Amino acid sequence: MIETQTLHKDYLRPLLRKLGKQYRLVGPVRNRFGDTLYIEITDLDRVDIDLKHQPQNSLKSFFFPQTEPLASYIVDTEPLSPTQLYSFHPLLPENRPTLYFGVRSCDLFAVLYMDMIFLGGKHRDIYYEQRRRGAVFITLGCNEPFANCFCNATRNGPFLEFGFDLQLTDLGPARNSYFVEAGKANGVKIVRKWARFFTVSTKEDRRFQYQAALEARGLFKQLVHVDLACQELEKGCEPEDVLTDFSQRCQDCGGCAFICPTCTCFSITDQARDQGSGERIRSWDGCTFAGFTRMAGGHNPIDMRRHRIRKRFFHKLKHDVQKHGRPSCVGCGRCVDMCFGGVDIIRFINAITEAGDLGRGKKRGV
Amino acid sequence: MEYDTYPSCSLDARRQAQAGRDNIYLPDQAIIRNIIRENSLVNTYELTLVDELANHRFSFQPGQFMMISMPHLGEAPISFSSSPDGEDGFSLTIRNSGRLTAAVQQLRAGDIIGVRGPYGRPFPADRLEGKNLLFVAGGIGLAPLRPLIEYWLSRPDEAGNLTMFYGSRTPEEFCFNRDFSRWEQNGLNLRLTVDQTAEEWDGSVGLVTSLLDGYTIDDETMALVCGPGIMIRFVFKQLQAMGMKAENIITTLERHMKCGVGICGHCHMEEKLVCIDGPVFTAAELPDPDNP
Repeated sequence: MIETQTLHKDYLRPLLRKLGKQYRLVGPVRNRFGDTLYIEITDLDRVDIDLKHQPQNSLKSFFFPQTEPLASYIVDTEPLSPTQLYSFHPLLPENRPTLYFGVRSCDLFAVLYMDMIFLGGKHRDIYYEQRRRGAVFITLGCNEPFANCFCNATRNGPFLEFGFDLQLTDLGPARNSYFVEAGKANGVKIVRKWARFFTVSTKEDRRFQYQAALEARGLFKQLVHVDLACQELEKGCEPEDVLTDFSQRCQDCGGCAFICPTCTCFSITDQARDQGSGERIRSWDGCTFAGFTRMAGGHNPIDMRRHRIRKRFFHKLKHDVQKHGRPSCVGCGRCVDMCFGGVDIIRFINAITEAGDLGRGKKRGV
Repeated sequence: MEYDTYPSCSLDARRQAQAGRDNIYLPDQAIIRNIIRENSLVNTYELTLVDELANHRFSFQPGQFMMISMPHLGEAPISFSSSPDGEDGFSLTIRNSGRLTAAVQQLRAGDIIGVRGPYGRPFPADRLEGKNLLFVAGGIGLAPLRPLIEYWLSRPDEAGNLTMFYGSRTPEEFCFNRDFSRWEQNGLNLRLTVDQTAEEWDGSVGLVTSLLDGYTIDDETMALVCGPGIMIRFVFKQLQAMGMKAENIITTLERHMKCGVGICGHCHMEEKLVCIDGPVFTAAELPDPDNP
């Protein structure tokens, strides 16, 4: 049974202040440029916590940084050295218990996807695990979905049914409080330990929360038939026209892959510090880059831009459905905002389901 | 469509305890015991892990690969080319085709490289047992098939007839030609062909597919094919035209890889990952070559 409480909005900061003594805090903060980003918060009094706008980044980089050293290595460069040396020393990240709050449903769901990629296979990634262990999530359901959101269609929002430690629902200006559901042990612990901030929810609170969640589903501005597109792709649909269009408009910037909360592909490269030492670095990579599949000698099994774009969308909407039972798009809409060429997943899905304009018209959204 | 939830990935204590031990990204050191020149671009490196205990525990199966490291140059996946029964270490056969492999060519016996593995799904030993095996290889494509040839030649009671058709551009470019007479003595029916004729060459000239013409295929035959992509495609086509079932034709693929263990995403091929679902595949498992 999930315990439910309410939390008065005035108590949010005091609660976070208490939790901040136990955890590193990460939450959405509005900066002076007007951007909202999930960042690490060291001083709650000096940041503008923004629970109104969609954060521009996801939580991806907190678990899987854009670049990180995996190991350092040393090489013995003495030409006639009797003992040759070429050895690696791991550079593991610190394991810091972190509380992620104000997390949107799509962003937590993407973390669950990353868990599967980095920890779900036969070989686990201990760099990811090190950051993931001790992470606690307080999510915030979206009463009003943002301009490009379609998490209703990917079925991981606007409210979550599992995965969170605590899920907050804004009960509106009149009540000025959050409805609080505890989904996992850490959430229950927080509610029990800091019981003085919480009030047991009433029947009316529950009804209001239910109403808000229901209404939110009707407020999506994007109509995206994700499951229909998945079905068409499963049946063997090859959307040639939209891929041709996309391949002319894609600028190979990789922005879609970098901003995507479920794009987890990476590269590993060695960076020499000097002749005798260096670091092995992992960094984000994107399947839309020409070099992504190019092999030594120049042969590239996926060497046309249209094939690369196909690979990206098919991975999300077909191959991950075959592999994991659901698409790996979480409907956050960030790739729509990111791409000025309109090479985004909504346009791709709409082209398959024939709901779109093939992208020649004006750009959707904000 | 049913939307299942993701399988939960537990971060339990047992796994935590293991985490410190097994860092998949850290190479071990291997020492080069011997280098054998195959042709102007290809060498075979006989390697042993420097850590004695690790070396003692080390084993691999035909079809698997290692990620090799060179200082400042990163990693590349290389198939095993030696018998899996070898007592001391393993061999990798490497063609000079990029920055890393060019540096490998400069190495001498006694030098150290980084290695991690073995990785990948091997050739299916259970499906090959007792079958007539037809090996079709082109150029360095023989390297990943060599462990299989050695394995089945040393188990004559468990294997059917072994035949190999091996093509090369010129007579000088055949890899492992030092093995040919031993293999033939041990029962391998070997036929060679070259693309370009040469003065001292009295064997057949033409594509490896031309050697298939006289071969009869029955239900007890399995084909093992490796070589350039275009060769694989034509051999697949011809074997299937000769009545061979796609699931009895097996190959091993090459892809750009970074992790080798199913995480980095570079070797995605439709819904499969070449590093963990392959690199060994049957023709039935491979996607349409026009949509890679």
